[in-house]
Amino acid sequence: MPAQSQFAIVDDDSSFRVALLSLVRSLGHAATGFDSAEAFLASGLADRVDCIISDIQMPGITGIELKRQLVASGITTPVVLITGRTEDRFRPEAEAIGAACFMRKPFDSQELIDCVGRVLGE
Amino acid sequence: MSAGSSGSELLTPRASTALGSLFDLVPECLVLRGRDGRILTWNAAAERLYGRPRADVAGLAGHEVFAGDPPWDPALLDPTGEWRGEVTRTAADGSPRTIRLHWQLVDGGLEILEIGHDITLARAAEEALRKSEHRYRNLFQAMAASFWELDFYPVGEMLYRLRKTGAITDWPAHFAAHPDFVREMMRATRVIDVNDQTVALFGRGDKQALLTSVEPFWPEASSPVFAASVVAAVTGAQNYATETRLRTIDGVEFPALFTACFPPDTMNKGTLLIGVIDLTERVAAQEALARMQTEMAHASRVALLGELSASIAHEVNQPLGAIAANGAAGMRWLSREEPDLGEVRALTERIISDAQRAAEIVKRVRTLASGVPPERLPVSLNAIIRDAATFLQHEIRDAGVSFATRLSPDSPVVQADRVQLQQVVVILALNALQAMSGAGSTKPALTIRTATEGDEARLEVEDNGPGIPEEARARVFDSFFTTKPGGMGLGLAIAQSILRDCGGSIGVETAQGGGARFVVRLPLCENGSPTHTKV
Repeated sequence: MPAQSQFAIVDDDSSFRVALLSLVRSLGHAATGFDSAEAFLASGLADRVDCIISDIQMPGITGIELKRQLVASGITTPVVLITGRTEDRFRPEAEAIGAACFMRKPFDSQELIDCVGRVLGE
Repeated sequence: MSAGSSGSELLTPRASTALGSLFDLVPECLVLRGRDGRILTWNAAAERLYGRPRADVAGLAGHEVFAGDPPWDPALLDPTGEWRGEVTRTAADGSPRTIRLHWQLVDGGLEILEIGHDITLARAAEEALRKSEHRYRNLFQAMAASFWELDFYPVGEMLYRLRKTGAITDWPAHFAAHPDFVREMMRATRVIDVNDQTVALFGRGDKQALLTSVEPFWPEASSPVFAASVVAAVTGAQNYATETRLRTIDGVEFPALFTACFPPDTMNKGTLLIGVIDLTERVAAQEALARMQTEMAHASRVALLGELSASIAHEVNQPLGAIAANGAAGMRWLSREEPDLGEVRALTERIISDAQRAAEIVKRVRTLASGVPPERLPVSLNAIIRDAATFLQHEIRDAGVSFATRLSPDSPVVQADRVQLQQVVVILALNALQAMSGAGSTKPALTIRTATEGDEARLEVEDNGPGIPEEARARVFDSFFTTKPGGMGLGLAIAQSILRDCGGSIGVETAQGGGARFVVRLPLCENGSPTHTKV
């Protein structure tokens, strides 16, 4: 069992957030959920967690904007961006700002697990 | 007048003497004639009509005075001593007059009393009547409508007897309460005559088969129309007309315009005239139009769903993503050396509720995409706005528009098809979003308001985009009018047709700040509780 890592899950959709929390914990990690990017930024956990998984479309600060603000603040915590949109319109932007992974809902959970593994250097 | 005025013994009018002064008081033309037909004298009425004083004609032969009379034939008076006939004589003014004559022997057979009636006017009236009757018969036959001449007399009797009991004060109520009596009145109404159109429309080519009662031609459901026409007849209406359904002798129902005339003269005779126009084709055309409108509205909804597809996909992907993640987490918990069943149970419960959520979204989309004919029920306008907003939220968010609803605390309820009304809201909101993004508004805002205003519900969809130019305002609701590149120009036309169908209206005005404000007005339901259920 790998060492336990700290995750932050940011999604305004509570059922998806709870599902991700459970998935991450099932992998043996710890995770905290936030229903908005604002709440997450206010928590001050941004540079203390090992990985951030965030939805893109959220009222207020979007996932892409969140990553941009982290970059601007010099925080390099890996960010996995997820979108509910079927089209790929956010992918170039997500990749341009250095998202660790870009995924569309509903995704193959193995894909997320693989991505998280890569991010954590396992 | 005196008997001796002629001064001649031979010409002494004995009978007239006997009649005395009465002779001149009689309004008919009395002529006293000898057995040989000669004129002895005549009365004042004859002087006026024939224009000659009696002294001038005394002793003249019949043909000398009445040139048009047939030659004198004394045998005419045999054996009864009487003769009746008609002749044409010339009046004082030179006009020909038809005179009905009655000759009878008087004074023991010595003289003849001629009683003449000028029937010229009566004859002319009769002729006019005959011509009018003929014309009427021609019309009756030649008109493209079906005509019926009915004997209503037995029904009049039935009603008279009923009225005499004094129990009936309200005919419509009585008929409504006694449908059997209405059918009985139909059976008592006899068909006297029908025209060829009627035979073609109602019969099988055999006129005789139709000359029964009118009952076979009235479907049960149309009985109230027959009752209403009877009420019209007995309350002194001139006529009665309505659309109803009638039945051919073979039992085939069809939509018809039914008209009944109650002219006083024929009513007195107990007959009345019915006209029937077959509306099958017109009704079919109307139905086709309504169907087309429904189909257009449906096509527009499907097109809207296309425009909303990204939003809908996002809506569905949300629970599907959760289900996939929950499922994967569950597998993990199960695969552990010590499976954590508590976690798995919680995850499975969430999977079920997410699946239900996905199913509800699909159901909502299917309702919007379904082509079922509109069904007008009391619906809550606020609930419609909330439903439409769920479809729109991602479009609104993607467009970077700030969105607000101001819903009336009165919770207005209107009579409308829920899906169609949602469609109207979505059309108006999408238009607003497109107008604002097209104009590059810097702080785009969309506001939807509901309110009640008297007996109306009011719905406003307001943006702060460029607004609608004055010159386009009159045309925005026209079909195929569009200012959007690639737009079909049907959205607002369809919205207007939907609203008109439920008694509402739509207009556009300029919002404060220059944006467009579409205002929808719908009649409020009286005491209507919404049957709305969110799907």
